[in-house]
Amino acid sequence: MKIEIAYTLISIFLFLSGLFGVIIRKNLITLLVSTELMLNGVNLGLVSMDKMVGGVEGQVFALFVLTVAAAEVAVGLGLVVAIFRLRGYESSSEITQLRD
Amino acid sequence: MEWLIFGFLSLWLLVSVFGTLFLKNPVHVILAFLSVILAIAGIFLHLGAELLAGLQLIIYAVAIIVFYVLVITTIPWEKVKKFEGIYKREALLAVPFLLISFLPIAYMVLEGKFAVSERVITEGNIRSVGKTLFTNYLFPFEVASVILLTAMIGAILLGRKEE
Repeated sequence: MKIEIAYTLISIFLFLSGLFGVIIRKNLITLLVSTELMLNGVNLGLVSMDKMVGGVEGQVFALFVLTVAAAEVAVGLGLVVAIFRLRGYESSSEITQLRD
Repeated sequence: MEWLIFGFLSLWLLVSVFGTLFLKNPVHVILAFLSVILAIAGIFLHLGAELLAGLQLIIYAVAIIVFYVLVITTIPWEKVKKFEGIYKREALLAVPFLLISFLPIAYMVLEGKFAVSERVITEGNIRSVGKTLFTNYLFPFEVASVILLTAMIGAILLGRKEE
């Protein structure tokens, strides 16, 4: 077994554990951290596939994923701060309304 | 030797991932996530992607982690502490679902054949990534800057106080 295949399996595990965190976490901040885990899993998969195929395009795409992660964390944490300020929602299951 | 490095890095990664998933305190979760990021930067170095390892350290371990910690200091701590932990029943339901979605993907990765390109990259990693980024992928690169600008404006709009 080549080492890139092992890293690909690790990346799939990382993505699925991020999805697991999104499903089970109660706090909104830790939920966002779990989405970051998913993005890291995608990056790891892209880079390991890139090593296997022998190109550099996967690393370029991973760079774009990093950009999107930065944008996502800015907007997501802005939303979290707005939700915490709004009515005192804290748990992810309490947010059932889009507006007051 | 290669498998020794693989074992060390992946064990570190798995322990940190479990810490990220199951710790209660949000600050501890963010510290475990920082450990995940450092492990992934090590894996990138092992896979020969030096540029991405450095960018991972700069963007994730500095910018994003500091942003999370800043937001936690903004919100009152009782509100953050009030709902912590996990949903137990959803966790029990999610484990078999994720397991049966892991197994076919892992089977496909293990048994499938991958394309092998004829190119042999002789120059360094950073030079080749930069050349590809600024020739073939110049337009997505510019679009990424627009995405960042939009996210910045959106974050300012969302984060301001209502008058």
